Amino acid sequence: MTRRAAPYVVAVGGAIAITLVLELFASYVSATSLSALYLLLVLWLGARWGRGAAVTGSVAAFLLYDFFFVPPVGTFSVRGPAEFLELAVLLAVALVTSQLAASQRLAQATAEALARDSRALYDLATSMLKANDITPALTLVCRSAVHLAAVARFAVVADGALLAGSPLSGDELKQAAWSHDHAQPIGIAIKDGAVITMKTRGTAPGLAYLPLQSGVVVTELDPEKSDGAELRMLAAHIALADLLLDRRRASIETERARGLEASDRLKAAILSSMSHELKSPIAALRAGLTALAAPKAGLEPEQRELLGDLDRQATRLDRMVGDLLALSRLEAGVGMETEPHSFAEVVGASVREMRPQLKGHELTVRIPDDLPPVDVDDTQLGRVVTNLLENAVDWTPADGRIEIGALSVGDHVEAWVENDGPAIAPKDFDRVFDTFWSGRASGTGLGLAIARRVVEAHGGTIRVENRRRGPRFTFTLPLAHVAVGQ
Amino acid sequence: MSGRVLVVDDEVEMQRALRTGLQYHEFDVHAVGTGEEAVREAAAWRPDVILLDLGLPGMDGFATLRALRPATRAAVIVVSVMPGEKDKVRALDAGADDYVVKPFGTEELVARIRAVLRRQADVTSGEPVVRTGDLEIDLARRAVAVAGKPVHLTPTEYELLRYLALHAGKPVSHTTLLRQVWGEYAVGDKYNTRYVVAQIRKKLGDDPANPRYIVNEPGVGYRLEA
Repeated sequence: MTRRAAPYVVAVGGAIAITLVLELFASYVSATSLSALYLLLVLWLGARWGRGAAVTGSVAAFLLYDFFFVPPVGTFSVRGPAEFLELAVLLAVALVTSQLAASQRLAQATAEALARDSRALYDLATSMLKANDITPALTLVCRSAVHLAAVARFAVVADGALLAGSPLSGDELKQAAWSHDHAQPIGIAIKDGAVITMKTRGTAPGLAYLPLQSGVVVTELDPEKSDGAELRMLAAHIALADLLLDRRRASIETERARGLEASDRLKAAILSSMSHELKSPIAALRAGLTALAAPKAGLEPEQRELLGDLDRQATRLDRMVGDLLALSRLEAGVGMETEPHSFAEVVGASVREMRPQLKGHELTVRIPDDLPPVDVDDTQLGRVVTNLLENAVDWTPADGRIEIGALSVGDHVEAWVENDGPAIAPKDFDRVFDTFWSGRASGTGLGLAIARRVVEAHGGTIRVENRRRGPRFTFTLPLAHVAVGQ
Repeated sequence: MSGRVLVVDDEVEMQRALRTGLQYHEFDVHAVGTGEEAVREAAAWRPDVILLDLGLPGMDGFATLRALRPATRAAVIVVSVMPGEKDKVRALDAGADDYVVKPFGTEELVARIRAVLRRQADVTSGEPVVRTGDLEIDLARRAVAVAGKPVHLTPTEYELLRYLALHAGKPVSHTTLLRQVWGEYAVGDKYNTRYVVAQIRKKLGDDPANPRYIVNEPGVGYRLEA
């Protein structure tokens, strides 16, 4: 007895068995009332085996009942509408029951499949989350996709290289990179969390590229197998791959930031200790030299003059060391803190600091009251202004004029420092900003180089030109995008 | 004017140079090398001014500053090599009266010491009028005038100017100004103080690019010229 025949054998056998029971008890109870047993059989057959068995059972039951119990007994004669009704009822019961049972069985099968899928995805997700490294987790996802989503291939590409999954050809890698750069899916797309397939030209049928936030999924669908359940599985695997790729990028970025921060801290610490080591001896020198210059020290005028010379040299050395440290700080890229600032205020602080040197020169400030705020590190910008003013003081003859000004031009502020004095040869327009280029004995040759670095660190430019009365240094500064008082 | 100056610096050369230089300018000078000694000496000798180097071995400058504050009413001038703006603000907010950047000349240092001593004398005498150039701030009458002409300030503007006037010559940090003018739990930032200072300057006729009264201390805050 094969498995397929079993339901029919049971159906016919069941009907015969019930007929025998009816025969045995017919003398005690009316056969008509016992015939409900057939109904029971058909119900059971429908629920247990489905439509075929139930229909077979109902036909067999009808024929047996008709033959043995319906007069004339011993013949298959159907007479009158009542008997047809009986047959019809039996058949209807058979069909309805089997239908109900069948849809229930289907629902159960679907539920079981879903449970199996969820279980598989859950296992995958947990093992994936447990993995410390992203790549093994991605490999797991790729393998699982081939297994559960019934795709021929599943691979994950990021930064132009295969991260995990099925091997890809060079062209496929190129195609994946293109898909990512242009945010252009090929073959499949994700819509409302579900995978939809799209017709493509030019690529192999079934081959699909889906760009994600931080990488690309390349997969080859099997058109035979890709029904709703498989596509749902595929969507789930793509979502997992997406999650992992984001995690990978986040961890790369964190790592990079941590590295930069550590090296910044180290550089700042080295520079700070260098400052201390280089400046402390100069501090003691200057304190000592200037102490002896006091009238009460009782030194001769020539001796005091000598002390003055020495202190000026010490001061120059101090400036040189300060400039060198400032330059190393700029080159090391130790953090600038930009904020909206009033340019006039920054100039004010520098002018105040330079007041002793500016004495004997005529300073003009041309900054409009409504000049918008600039987005700068104010101490660094102060250094630019101070250095340019120092440069101007050094080159301006006694009673000469120094002008500092600013204007809002388009999306930036253009500021300048101009002085009376000798013109700069056009061939030196660029060289004046070079490190250690100096046309005079008193400077360190670093002031203008520092000014350029600071301006450039703010995203601006600096240049020099000759105006009618002397050179003008012009630099640009970015505008800030908030309101601040002048 | 003379006074007692306590020098706190771990370098012997610096101690000797400062002692000599300040003595030539009529100051009484004691010098110590550590924070612990500074706290002891401040209580025992009662100096008028303490020159405190921030880079001390052991108990560092900031810890010393905190320990000094309850022990003495002396003005504290913080001394440091290339201090960052954050260090300056921290020192001022912790109770320092001024800061001087190393290296410095004796003349400059003496000028700073005299300024804090003068300020102390003003506070003790309870002089109700603060003058700087043409600017006159009458703290008793809450009146402000430039060259004799009255200037009308809003209550917030006056409070800010009053606080700067009470500490004339001393840099006051943005955070301190915010707290003093807007209250302990002030919600706001430097833009508030900058905006109010801009308004005050406008009314006083002070040029931010070449200020006569309120000076901008980059990265720190503001100071009223003494």
